[in-house]
Amino acid sequence: MNYPLWDVPFLGGTWIIGLIASVHVFVSHFAVGGGAFFAVTEQWAYKTGDQRIYDYLKKHSLFFLLLTTVFGAVTGVGIWWAISLVNPSGTATLIQTFTLGWAEEYLFFVAEIATIIVYYYTWDRISKEQHLNLARWYAFLSIMTLVIINGILTFMLTPGHWLQSRYWLEGFFNETYWPSLFLRLLMMAALAGMYALVTASLIKEVDFRAKMLRYASKWFLPIFILGPVVGYWYFINVPHDALQNIMTGIQASGIGNFSVLARAIYMSLILSGTILLYAFVGPYLNAKGFSFHAAVMFLICGLLVTSISEWSREMLRKPYVIYGYMYSNGLIKEQVATLNQKGFALNAKWVPKHISEQQLGQKMFQYQCASCHTQHGYRSMHKLLGERDEEAITAFLQILRKTSPQENPYTGIMPPVIGTDEELKALSRYLYSEHHPETGSLASKRAILNTETTTQKTH
Amino acid sequence: MVSVTKVFDWLDQRLSIRTWQQLAEKKTVPIHRHSVWYYLGGIALVLLLVQVATGGLLMVYYIPELASAHASILKINTQINFGWFIRSLHSWGANIMILALFVHLFSTYFMKAYRPPRELTWLTGLALMVLAFGFGFTGYLLPWDEVSFFATKIGIDITSKTPFIGEFMASMLRGGPEVGQATLSRFFVIHIFLLPLGLLALLGVHLLMIQLHGISEPDAVKALPEAQKESEKFFPTFVLKDLMVWLLVLNALSVLVGIFPWGLGPEADPYAPAPEGIKPEWYFLAMFQFLKLMPPTIGPLEGEQVGMMIFGIIGLLFAAMPFIDRGHNPKLSGWARLFGQIVLVGFVFFTIWGFAS
Repeated sequence: MNYPLWDVPFLGGTWIIGLIASVHVFVSHFAVGGGAFFAVTEQWAYKTGDQRIYDYLKKHSLFFLLLTTVFGAVTGVGIWWAISLVNPSGTATLIQTFTLGWAEEYLFFVAEIATIIVYYYTWDRISKEQHLNLARWYAFLSIMTLVIINGILTFMLTPGHWLQSRYWLEGFFNETYWPSLFLRLLMMAALAGMYALVTASLIKEVDFRAKMLRYASKWFLPIFILGPVVGYWYFINVPHDALQNIMTGIQASGIGNFSVLARAIYMSLILSGTILLYAFVGPYLNAKGFSFHAAVMFLICGLLVTSISEWSREMLRKPYVIYGYMYSNGLIKEQVATLNQKGFALNAKWVPKHISEQQLGQKMFQYQCASCHTQHGYRSMHKLLGERDEEAITAFLQILRKTSPQENPYTGIMPPVIGTDEELKALSRYLYSEHHPETGSLASKRAILNTETTTQKTH
Repeated sequence: MVSVTKVFDWLDQRLSIRTWQQLAEKKTVPIHRHSVWYYLGGIALVLLLVQVATGGLLMVYYIPELASAHASILKINTQINFGWFIRSLHSWGANIMILALFVHLFSTYFMKAYRPPRELTWLTGLALMVLAFGFGFTGYLLPWDEVSFFATKIGIDITSKTPFIGEFMASMLRGGPEVGQATLSRFFVIHIFLLPLGLLALLGVHLLMIQLHGISEPDAVKALPEAQKESEKFFPTFVLKDLMVWLLVLNALSVLVGIFPWGLGPEADPYAPAPEGIKPEWYFLAMFQFLKLMPPTIGPLEGEQVGMMIFGIIGLLFAAMPFIDRGHNPKLSGWARLFGQIVLVGFVFFTIWGFAS
């Protein structure tokens, strides 16, 4: 409520973040996994003295350089742009809490970019040992960017003791920090293998192509062996209420209610399993028959599972943006009671003091609902409100205002609505009139009726 | 620990696995720009296996009785652990399987793979397609919800318009004057017993024919000198590629099931008026739309009877194509291609029209 908001009709702001972030994750994970891939593969080339591996790496590194530096950097900036416009309060909290962390991440990132540029341009210009060291150095720097960003990302789901101490390192090394770090490293290795399959499938010499494809497919082994264990480790550290959301979804999948998260997790698991089998029967067992098209299809599956898994992780946080501290609409949990007493409008810095009831309702919607809902598009209010009239909407909002799960079944997935009774009425009137423009709100209808009655009496 | 070789030897002595392996290794698959169509048969087969597995599981809880059919599906969807998943796999899988069969049929047709000596492969394939329609039609009624009930009623009415045998077929399917318990029981038995029996026999012959005659090449590839022809081993090369495609298809199926679980409408009320806009499943939509255009009477016959006769003639021409276009007469071959193109375009056109109307 401290910042102006960006209203994205139909699609909603979260999708803007989601789309940019998904693309960025494809590239950033590749940047880290690819670093390890270069170090290990160049070590292999150095050990065996196979010039063909060097030649392959040289080509692969051009693709890698362009993708990670140009595309990765643009989408990285894109994420900052999107989150600061869509959820300024959450972004501000992350910046203020982890100022030092962000600064370190930035330093590692700049060093990483500089190293990969030097790595590419020094092929055949420095000794093989020096070049191999550059690969190792790049792998280290890229992993360090993950080490830092992972602390901030996991903080959003499990802020840990930070909630009491407000000390950034306690939030940084939180309950899901280590399992998430290992899980991401495993995913990154698999993604590095996937991208390598695409470039290796273009090698012309049949036997060498088969050799490299088989080698690239082995990068799936770590996640195949350790993935389930680390995944389990991650889930046992997720907040109990978030796990409960998954369980509710599993029970309700057939009806469809509250099951989006559960269904996303099913898909993520099924796709992951399929990918591992695909890697085994495709490039590993049948390397000579593994074509470029098959590699691209494979990569699409891999990217799909990556984005679904990331999306599931984001959904796990519901209804918070920082678990237990700040709701997804930027409202701070501790302030709910106070805001209910004093009212929304008085505390919203960008809401003018003297506005009509309709405008107040609109502002209530923009600040409290629009972070997840749109009027007619994604999670449409039009669909969700259905045939409810103004009174039914008010009654529903009164339920959403409650903070105990016994009185409000939506506490696990939605922030509570805040505001005085008048403000809630303004919101319900606004919502009703938005979806029934032909009838207007009950209040206005009553006003018309009263006018008509008065007119009749006068006559 | 018993080694894999020993187990293999043990099985080989009893099942002659090596002989089968040698046969499979001898078989080759041509490589050319239309090779992608060779995967369609395998896709249909794997989806059929999904149908068998999920159908078996659904039978555990499904009750083919008027008072319980809808409730049992509702229970599967809402109370049985992952029941919704199995049912959605079954329903989505059936639709994708029929789609794969359509593409398989037309790709085989346009590659002229029906020509001698593959007449029996073609005919058993067509018969399998008819069985798939049968599975779709009978399975659609089983949930006993509003849409399936009225769509089946319309379907049986259309069947009754088939010249000569229509009334008999409709009465056999219905089992009485109205769609009711007898219909449900008959559809259930047809769906889980009669059709699978026919399927097993026909699929066996179909696969045997493919083994006997190998995989056909389109005319353009046949005309190439042997030195320019490319091929790969069926086993293990093509089989492993096939496995990858199957995995992708299963992936697509799971994504569909995850995003759009198969729903269930309100329970059928035979005494209620039919809701507006009842339509059959998409693969019957073209026929349905075409029949809607028929005038009430054409000469001495009912319009729908004439429509059914047209479908019959198209089916017969498809079945007779291996004996008409034997590959000796280029003009005839051109006519066969044109006929296929008209049927395909007509099917797509009427299906889209059916959806939109």
